[in-house]
Amino acid sequence: MRFTGRCWKFGDNIPTDRLVKSKYVFEPMEEIVRHVLEDLNPEFPRQVRSGDIVVAGRHFGQSSGRAIATKALRATGIGCVVADTFARTFYRNCFEIGLPALALDGATALVSDGDEITVDIATGEFRNETTGATRSAEPADPFLLQMLEAGGLIKLAASRSDLFA
Amino acid sequence: MNVVEKILARASGRSSVEPGEIVIANVDRLIMHDLSGYLTAGVFDKQVGGKVRHPDRVVMVFDHHFSPPTEQQATVLQANRDWAARHGIRLFDCGNGNLHHVLVRRGLVKPGMIVVGSDSHTPVHGTVGALAVALGNDSHAGTVLPYGKAWFKVPHTVRIELSGTPQPGTSARDIALWLVARIGEGELNYAAVEFAGPYVKQLEFWDRWLFPLLCVDLGAKCSFVEPDDATEAFLRGLPGELPAEFPRSDGGEAAQVLRFDVGEVGPQVACPPTVGNVKPVADVAGNAVGWAELGGHGGGRLEDIRIAAALLAGRAVHPSVRFNIVPSSREVFTEAMREGLVLPLHEAGATWFPPSTGSNQAYNMGAMAAGEAMISTHSRNFPGRNGSPEARMYLASAASVAAAALTGVITDPTEVRA
Repeated sequence: MRFTGRCWKFGDNIPTDRLVKSKYVFEPMEEIVRHVLEDLNPEFPRQVRSGDIVVAGRHFGQSSGRAIATKALRATGIGCVVADTFARTFYRNCFEIGLPALALDGATALVSDGDEITVDIATGEFRNETTGATRSAEPADPFLLQMLEAGGLIKLAASRSDLFA
Repeated sequence: MNVVEKILARASGRSSVEPGEIVIANVDRLIMHDLSGYLTAGVFDKQVGGKVRHPDRVVMVFDHHFSPPTEQQATVLQANRDWAARHGIRLFDCGNGNLHHVLVRRGLVKPGMIVVGSDSHTPVHGTVGALAVALGNDSHAGTVLPYGKAWFKVPHTVRIELSGTPQPGTSARDIALWLVARIGEGELNYAAVEFAGPYVKQLEFWDRWLFPLLCVDLGAKCSFVEPDDATEAFLRGLPGELPAEFPRSDGGEAAQVLRFDVGEVGPQVACPPTVGNVKPVADVAGNAVGWAELGGHGGGRLEDIRIAAALLAGRAVHPSVRFNIVPSSREVFTEAMREGLVLPLHEAGATWFPPSTGSNQAYNMGAMAAGEAMISTHSRNFPGRNGSPEARMYLASAASVAAAALTGVITDPTEVRA
């Protein structure tokens, strides 16, 4: 649950519409992923590398509840996503589809594009390796961490029939 | 316990629940539209499989399409039809209206139910006294369809008490937009938001509807108006049985109470780029709009069409504006015809569209080129949602939309008299 990677920083109130534009909804994921957040930073879908970390502002992922936005973000290969605050459906979807997420108010103030950062989802620890700044957040609910460990909600439900059956 | 806590406790087989707890509860209704249905069905078939445990609890409505404009979209709808038929799921095909309006009008949402859907405006069913929450596709495919259950974190409750008498020409839609700006986007993250107070209680059902509708922009998990005699009277006019008792609060369970007097609020408009960028309509008056639309989750109501007809009957839509009217349901179009509202609006130059969710994300209509602008009763205005990210979307009341259709520019509706 510990990730170290290069930071991509985004602003406040970013809607899912900016992660997946409506015109790409029915396209295959390999096409969708080429356009994630392109209107806000055209370099992001082109330059993002496996293990990078997205750090966004307040109310990240507002708008649609469809999980396609979180799936597209995961498909970019990022290790995890951090936001000052998340829109709740987006946060829920992150754990359900297996994309680690950490809500840390003030995270964007600690980072610049390209900084190397370390995030521990289980403990809530956050460290900017480039500047040395550290902060800790309230970690996610244990149930959500279980979900991540299982590989998402569908796998959790299949392996823990006592929960939902 | 309050309404939300009582519903969650009952549905999870417990005597009580506390905010912050995670519970697994039985779901009474899963609602899907043509887009969310397609994604959910895909996940279910590929990653879960097997049978839908309670097909009678699942409803699909094609509302982003009233008629598919491309082969790709026709294929999506056909796949949805096949999937619904294979699992015995009730489907309302193109032309029935907006997902949420269809559910209410057909008597498929009742007080005390747990309603889930991927449409982020699902919490609007709190107007009926249901616990209605937007969940993602994997919850629906992974637990709701195979087991009839979902996991929920019990929300804390914020009660918003509204009092006072609005200014003439100020509608419930204006008050709701004003509240988003006053409280702030995302500021009530995870909360169950209860709308109460004398102003809310004296509103008709479809005006109350506009408050839970906008709670998602506040970051809320769900929202509700505690069912009362007005709710009951409204529901008695719809198909289906009512529950023996309506969920009622024991009183005093709100973590926070916010009180507002609506007496000073004038007509409002949400400006780009987000729903929270709300200004008095007077501040943006004079901006040209090429498109005006009554439609969407909160628009295309009979009340909206009446307002437009009162203003435009015997007059003409401004030559630089295309004024589109999208009834929220077949029932609304029927009523509009009975009341004689269709012909005068048609003669004024408005264009009637089939009942649907209108230009929501421009799947079927409403795409704009760079530099164009639209004023509508829709619920979202993010750049790029309707064609070019360089197009501008303004959200306002039916009166403000109709006023702009008449003048060609954003106009304070109190300054144009019917």
